[in-house]
Amino acid sequence: MDYLNKSLFEIKELLESGKISSVELTKMCLEQIKHTQNINALISVCEDFALKTAKRVDEDRKNGKKLGALAGIPIVIKDNINLKGTKTTCASKFLENFVSPYTATCAQKLIDADAVIIGKANMDEFAMGSSNENSAFGAALNPKNTMCVPGGSSGGSAASVSAYQCFGALGTDTGGSIREPASFCGVVGLKPTYGRVSRYGVVAFASSLDQVGTLTRSVKDSAIMLEVISGQDKNDMTSSAEKVPNFSNIKSDIKGLKIGIAKEFFNENLNEEVKKSLDDAISFYKKNGAELVDISLPSLDKALAVYYIISSAEAASNLARFDGVRYGVRAQKFSDINDLYFKSRSQGFGGEVKRRIMLGNYVLSSGYFDAFYRKAKKAQKVLKQEFSAAFSKCDVIISPTTANVAFKIGEKSSDPLSMYLTDIFTVPINIVGVPAMSIPCGKNKDGLPIGMQLIAKQWNEEMLFRFGEIFEKNHKEAKNV
Amino acid sequence: MPKISIDEVKKLAKLSRLEFSQEELQKFTSDFEGILNYVDLINKVNTQNVDLKEKAIDAEEDLRADIITKSLSQDEIIANAPLSEDGAFVVPTTVEEGGQ
Repeated sequence: MDYLNKSLFEIKELLESGKISSVELTKMCLEQIKHTQNINALISVCEDFALKTAKRVDEDRKNGKKLGALAGIPIVIKDNINLKGTKTTCASKFLENFVSPYTATCAQKLIDADAVIIGKANMDEFAMGSSNENSAFGAALNPKNTMCVPGGSSGGSAASVSAYQCFGALGTDTGGSIREPASFCGVVGLKPTYGRVSRYGVVAFASSLDQVGTLTRSVKDSAIMLEVISGQDKNDMTSSAEKVPNFSNIKSDIKGLKIGIAKEFFNENLNEEVKKSLDDAISFYKKNGAELVDISLPSLDKALAVYYIISSAEAASNLARFDGVRYGVRAQKFSDINDLYFKSRSQGFGGEVKRRIMLGNYVLSSGYFDAFYRKAKKAQKVLKQEFSAAFSKCDVIISPTTANVAFKIGEKSSDPLSMYLTDIFTVPINIVGVPAMSIPCGKNKDGLPIGMQLIAKQWNEEMLFRFGEIFEKNHKEAKNV
Repeated sequence: MPKISIDEVKKLAKLSRLEFSQEELQKFTSDFEGILNYVDLINKVNTQNVDLKEKAIDAEEDLRADIITKSLSQDEIIANAPLSEDGAFVVPTTVEEGGQ
């Protein structure tokens, strides 16, 4: 474990100095993947592709060729990100045989940075879920305690990073799908500003909320990866022309910066141990020179309702394309073209996906559109105004990532609403479109990780790295996860 | 509190091109009612002064020029089809002979 337990930026230095080759490192990761197969973190392993890339990078390095920021480093991507020639299943039976005919921009950027893509991660089907139990290929398990869920939907990405199978992973986050699993598995999870990273080639769930981000073992690793995957893409008109800063050059000083605390995040539902960890983190920041500011987000507790209306409406529309004709699985028996649609969709989609399609079509149907969808879009605007007012008083907002630690497998799977409520602190961030990061900040008495969420203004990921890294370097609990 | 009947759920399923067994429908209807009662919370947000009549994203002015570029080949597209013939998707008959 001398090499595998390094963070991405540490292994980058070891590769650069020739202490280890990429082929050696890739083989170690492949070995570790086999060794930790029980957590079911990956849907497919790209062994040949990874070894071929590693070999090429080693040769290029030997020949003195200029290499990219992730040269030779094994990375995992979530299985809703297309990589040409590999299966992209979205953890759905519908796509169990789908082979990507092209590569997503974010994956291409990893390849262009000479990363070694080693596998494709398990997830909740079509990224809908908070526990990874909605995978057609079986639930991923939490490496910290295999009785517990790793969180979701990017549960496989988080579990893989936490189990030292790779040095970083890409996930997607529509309502907390990077931050919640990061929190449950004790890793760093970043959801960038909406528009920071291209969504081209990433299978759409809720297009106005989806964003690609990173899962890593350190804050700096996240900054290095974000720098690689960010930037405008002509194939995604919602990707922004906003300048991509030198994220990996993290400022270390937080003196005089203001940290906002909203009482709405610290309500009675918050677990005592989580609350204590957050209180510790807040006093840490105060001790290190940050100024604490009280802010108010009065509509925060309505964000989850807003989210389920908007995200389901978009999901119902996005998933209408799955017809059993052009790609995906087709039912074996059907009477006519309509029956083909009915049968293929009913057999191909899992229960949660069906529920969201139904809810989406409900809120979009005539008679309900104004009462639900339009009302939710208006409430979204109110939430944006409240966050904007809060950010006029502070540089970063701190909150718990989740109200509780990882729950047991099966604990919430029969009650959709209790599962949805897991995301109550992460969902508002997607509704507002700002960046946020979950960072390990302690453990409970059973040794399960606790995460805190840092939230910044639009395009201000630098502030998250700044507040995140000082904590990670100097707070005892951050190292203890 | 929004109420939903099993008939409404059936209608929605039809719109969604989904089929459910009788047992699934029962469970679905009760789950659905719970979710709808929850999302009813949005009515607690005061949106009286909110105007939605503005563009949703800032990027709308950045439309790219409409230039023909190379895209995926027919073979690449058809490779994932569950059933194909001579480079075309195969579907059941949708228009009867002599029909419209």
